[in-house]
Amino acid sequence: MSDDDPLEARAIARIQQGDAGAYDYLVSKYLRRVVSIAWGVVRNSHDAEDLAQEAFVKAYQNIGRFRAGEPFGPWIYRIVTNAALDALKHRTKFKHETITDSEPAARRDDATLPAMSNEIEQRIDAAIEELPEMQRIVARLHLVEEFDHQQIAGMMDVSEGTVRSHLSLARKKLREKLADLYGDVDD
Amino acid sequence: MTDDPFFERLRSDARTLRHQPDELTLARIRARIQAHLERAEPSVADLLAAWFRPLIASAAALALIAAIGTSVVRSNEDVSIVDTDIEITMAGESWRVGD
Repeated sequence: MSDDDPLEARAIARIQQGDAGAYDYLVSKYLRRVVSIAWGVVRNSHDAEDLAQEAFVKAYQNIGRFRAGEPFGPWIYRIVTNAALDALKHRTKFKHETITDSEPAARRDDATLPAMSNEIEQRIDAAIEELPEMQRIVARLHLVEEFDHQQIAGMMDVSEGTVRSHLSLARKKLREKLADLYGDVDD
Repeated sequence: MTDDPFFERLRSDARTLRHQPDELTLARIRARIQAHLERAEPSVADLLAAWFRPLIASAAALALIAAIGTSVVRSNEDVSIVDTDIEITMAGESWRVGD
């Protein structure tokens, strides 16, 4: 995930010196991924757009605190993940509940699902969405967004052990739900 | 990224589940971010105001101190006129009024 992008480092330095136009480079580079991460958590295109915007504005406002030489990606991913988790907590149905493993995932907005080309993708998506909330989010970040344990821990402000634990539980459930598709794969 | 064969297979099939916003959506979000930053960004007038605001405040404080100082001095002067002895000389004789 680490990438030494001299243009990125230069853009950050320019923004820190007051050149707001340099922020376009960072927005263009990370926007697609940021929207995808937000969407994966809230499962709603409109909310994902709002969250992406909020994350970039927040990052810009705090760019002075950003350490030179660090990649921008993990920082913006962390901001958007936290914003999305907060949004999830504040949704009406989770109003008086914390996000725990005891709650089934129930947040899909079917009208905004990406077009899935085949049955396998639909089955995987459904299986992930049926997982309890934290397992669902961790599984999505790991399997769909392809972040490793350490990155997910940083993005969600939890320990790596917590991520591994959620993934282990998610794996067990996904293995059961998708047994007919992946029965031949060794453990 | 993982040694788990099940997750590896699942991951290769799940990759396509990543949300792909279209160009129009991306352009719209970019425009919204830009609009926010422009609103948040200070204008030249804001910068000048930010520079001059403390100067004006300092000048106002100095003016206030000067006004108070002047009025204190004046009131002391008034008192001193009353308190000062007055000497009147008439036809070679002097009379003193006061302490």
